[in-house]
Amino acid sequence: MAAPLVPKLLRAHLSDLASNDARLDDRGQWDGRETKLEIGVLPRAEGSARVTMGNTIVLAGVKFQIMTPYPDRPNQGGLMCSCEVRSIAGRHWENGPPSPQSIELGRVVDRGIRESGCIDVDDLCIIPGEKAWQVILDLHAISDDGNLFDAFALAGIAALRNATIPAERFEIGEDTPLKVSKTPIMCSYHKVGGRFVYDASYREELGGDERIHITLGDDDHVHSLQKGLKGIFTADEFAEIMEHAKSRCSELRDMVNG
Amino acid sequence: MGGYGDVQMIDENGLRMDGRKPGDVRPITIETGVVPVADGSCRMTWGTNEAIVAVYGPMEAHPRKIQRQDRAVLDVTYNMAPFSTTDRIRPGFNRRSREISKVTADALESVVLLELYPRSKIRISIEITSAEAGTRCVGLTAASVALADAGIPMTDLVVSVASGKINDVVVCDLNKEEDNYGEADLPMGVLPNSGELVFLQMDGDLSPDEFKQAWDYNIDAAMEVHKLMVDALKGGEN
Repeated sequence: MAAPLVPKLLRAHLSDLASNDARLDDRGQWDGRETKLEIGVLPRAEGSARVTMGNTIVLAGVKFQIMTPYPDRPNQGGLMCSCEVRSIAGRHWENGPPSPQSIELGRVVDRGIRESGCIDVDDLCIIPGEKAWQVILDLHAISDDGNLFDAFALAGIAALRNATIPAERFEIGEDTPLKVSKTPIMCSYHKVGGRFVYDASYREELGGDERIHITLGDDDHVHSLQKGLKGIFTADEFAEIMEHAKSRCSELRDMVNG
Repeated sequence: MGGYGDVQMIDENGLRMDGRKPGDVRPITIETGVVPVADGSCRMTWGTNEAIVAVYGPMEAHPRKIQRQDRAVLDVTYNMAPFSTTDRIRPGFNRRSREISKVTADALESVVLLELYPRSKIRISIEITSAEAGTRCVGLTAASVALADAGIPMTDLVVSVASGKINDVVVCDLNKEEDNYGEADLPMGVLPNSGELVFLQMDGDLSPDEFKQAWDYNIDAAMEVHKLMVDALKGGEN
């Protein structure tokens, strides 16, 4: 991503808006954009989802490969989460080797899904020590108007829940749905104009400061946290965010579990 | 070209495995404005192919060494998403994508009025999200719709179609099985208003008569697809 000039006018404007409890697009501090989840949208993937959050659009696709289990874990398959933000997604994204931003995106989403234990890697073993399934979740941004983190996480878990293990194609038995036992959901908050807001747009990200990402599993268990960019926050601010994340995650979880 | 001529792809009635006649193209849908943050965009489905194209610009050409004093440069990238094929594609550098990006840029540079935007860059990002033979044609065709959607002046749209040969029969718009076992492939990029060409590739084996037939199929199909492109640009969704 080309480093954008810090737009001082935008920062001043966001600060004015915040002091009047307003946002660029007339949302309240804790309001998300309209969120749409579509399942099974990619004919060549074994599981897929498209998430639309305002003008942010992402795709997630699941593919399977046969892997040799790691010597220290002969009974386990693998889960890999890879994220690509290419130049299609916005004029501030460039093609080329993965940028630190897109690597952070992929890793934070990966941790939330992995640590929730929603995929039982023991279940992916075919022949101990020889053959196991590797589940690959590819996240692909189509249009970046901010908060790719939440969009990727939502599309990712929905695509996994939609996935079928293509055993027939590899001639090892019948196709079976991939078992996904939990539904981890991420909520992201950006400091904009001196206060945290939920689901920032691109302009809010551009004129804002630090961000915090929280992934909660079923029963509100915390599975991943990430603080990004320069900025300082207080314990009270974090507590307030966490309260909001609990209620918002459960709404989004209902959407995924539909 | 797999060249396995013994696989039967045309039945006794002259119909193909998916029920098409030799000259038929697969079903096509075209939608514009699908990437809200872009200056122009297009989603095109063509059989099981899906391409999403975003156009950004004209904008500052960066780094400066790519600038041209008398015209704009086109920065075209064609990329297949990792989940677009049966076996996952590893992201990253790939000779095939580089070549297709280049010939697509060469085709589009022939129609975009580049001299109107000296020292600037127009970026065209083609993402194939689902692939079923003929993705370079879908990508190029969708790119020309996205350029028009972005309001970039062009002398004409570009319609790209491929014809080929299976079981010694020339057919239009090969699908995946036909492409795998077929004996030839002739993709072309046609300017529908003048009938001129801006893109041409071929591999395989065609007799002069077969070549003529494949050529004619492509021209006829291009005119058909052109109508859908105009409808999409004039009416939004077709």
